[in-house]
Amino acid sequence: MIKVEHLTKRYGNHYAIEDLSFTVEEGKIYGLLGPNGAGKSTTMNIITGYISATSGTVTVDGHDILEEPSAARACIGYLPEIPPLYMDMTPREYLNFAGELKGMKKAARKEQIQRVMDRTGIAEMADRLIKHLSKGYKQRVGLAGALMGSPKVIILDEPTVGLDPAQVIGIRELIRDLGKTHTVILSSHILSEVQAVCDQVLIISGGHLTAQGTPEELSQRLSGKTALNLTALGSLEKVRAVVEGVEKIGEILEAHEENGETSLKVEIPSGQDLRAELSAALAGAGCPVTALATETLSLEDIFLQLTEGENAAGQQEEEPAAADQEQEEETKE
Amino acid sequence: MIAIYKRELKSFYGGMMGYLLDAFFILVGGLYFTAVNLQGGYSYFSYTLYNTCFVFLIFVPVLTMRSFAEERHNKTDQLLLTSPVSLGRIVMGKYLALMTVFVLPLAVLSVCPLLLRIGGEFSNLSNYSAIFGYFLLGAACIAIGMFVSSLTENQIIAVLGTFAILLLTYLMSGIRTLFTTGSSLALIVFTVLLLVISLLVGLNSKSLSLGCMVFVLGGAVLLALFKLKSAALTTAFSGLLGYLSIFDPFQNFVGDLFSITSIVYYLSVAGLFLFLTGQSLEKRRWN
Repeated sequence: MIKVEHLTKRYGNHYAIEDLSFTVEEGKIYGLLGPNGAGKSTTMNIITGYISATSGTVTVDGHDILEEPSAARACIGYLPEIPPLYMDMTPREYLNFAGELKGMKKAARKEQIQRVMDRTGIAEMADRLIKHLSKGYKQRVGLAGALMGSPKVIILDEPTVGLDPAQVIGIRELIRDLGKTHTVILSSHILSEVQAVCDQVLIISGGHLTAQGTPEELSQRLSGKTALNLTALGSLEKVRAVVEGVEKIGEILEAHEENGETSLKVEIPSGQDLRAELSAALAGAGCPVTALATETLSLEDIFLQLTEGENAAGQQEEEPAAADQEQEEETKE
Repeated sequence: MIAIYKRELKSFYGGMMGYLLDAFFILVGGLYFTAVNLQGGYSYFSYTLYNTCFVFLIFVPVLTMRSFAEERHNKTDQLLLTSPVSLGRIVMGKYLALMTVFVLPLAVLSVCPLLLRIGGEFSNLSNYSAIFGYFLLGAACIAIGMFVSSLTENQIIAVLGTFAILLLTYLMSGIRTLFTTGSSLALIVFTVLLLVISLLVGLNSKSLSLGCMVFVLGGAVLLALFKLKSAALTTAFSGLLGYLSIFDPFQNFVGDLFSITSIVYYLSVAGLFLFLTGQSLEKRRWN
């Protein structure tokens, strides 16, 4: 449906995104996940033709965004980060305008406005001025505008930012519903949201694609790895030294000391159970273990590892991710 | 295009802005019509129009300031620029809406020449050709204002920028007379102009040698002209300033005249600035 190849956007000496390639298949919900400033909005703005890439190509439904801009844009409904609303219009007028821009006929417009308003739950606000609506309603009017003309692809930039929890749930349900009939791409810096809604996750960090896959695949990738949450009596330095002395032990992810007790989070290599060794070593060194629990790394941890460049664990993780990407590209070809 | 045209018109006449602007235009036109034609007894409506040219200095900047600056400020340009409507149609839709806000009061003022006929029998042809010229003058000014608005997201800058440009062209015929003597001044101005052009050429082609070459060649031509035919340089300079004086060609419509040159001039200016507006929007994409 959408093919992004070697996309690069440079502002002066700063690369907003660099050599980004991915493919979006029809009928799935894609989530662009990344911290603020990772290049999610830039990517979306390029796909929708709002800005142009420094190099690379974007093809939407077979239409190159630069060579056939109108045909490519006709396939896309876009809700930018700040909904592009005219404050002096009512939602009904706005949707009518959005439909006209998409080239819809008058009768079709009228019918679809009603449908889209029902779907996004703004029917009761249809004839108030947009400037008098709350943020949640404005967001929904923007979303309704993106739905006008039934575009094949719907692109939503941070659709739930600034909404209250009930509205967030409402929008998520709507997105899932849309996923049945449209291809949806949404961006978010909130992991749970992407996990809850998307079929495919693309993790972007520093303008690069660092990982790609279904939420399950991504958590499985690290499922071999487990972490131990360990609490022992003794000073931080002492406990740390003892733990690092244990054979085959992984990296210490977290460590803090409180009231003479030290809590650690230690990574354990796959297929190993080091609990016995650890407690024996600590007891031998005069640091009795008061708590010990195994924990599987969640997607949250993967996300943090992948997006924190200075994190050593993140560095390790990038390699399998890159390898995965290559595999995926091969299968595509 | 029609969608954008309708939305733009609605935003003008949904609030006060459109009515205020049109009322101002008709008020000034009506005042001068009363003074010049009804009390002064002239049968030429073009005199009234000639005297109300200054209206454009206020009317056009206020009319055009919002067109693209507001869209950009409110990020609504994202809706337009990501819609299947092409850039040219977006620009034309906006321009036609602005022109409509200008043409409505002009249509009201077009009744004035008919009123004059009460006083006596005469041909109104020259009066309507003057109104046509006035329409073209407005079309050119509005294109300039829209272009300035497309450069910024700040409406204040847009309104002041358009006002400054129109004021300069308004005063240009006066400024021009100051520069009739002395070709050395013309040489300096042309050299500065050449420097700017060479810099632009150099920067755009990213080649220092090309920029330098343009400057050296142009400089040689200028110097040769200065030595051999210094009068030509002064004339050319004065002519150049003449092209910048957008209100002057309208004078050709005043009285019993009709000028093809002026029509071509105004249409070219309007076309050029509409094109530049499109280019400035396109350029924003690439930044």
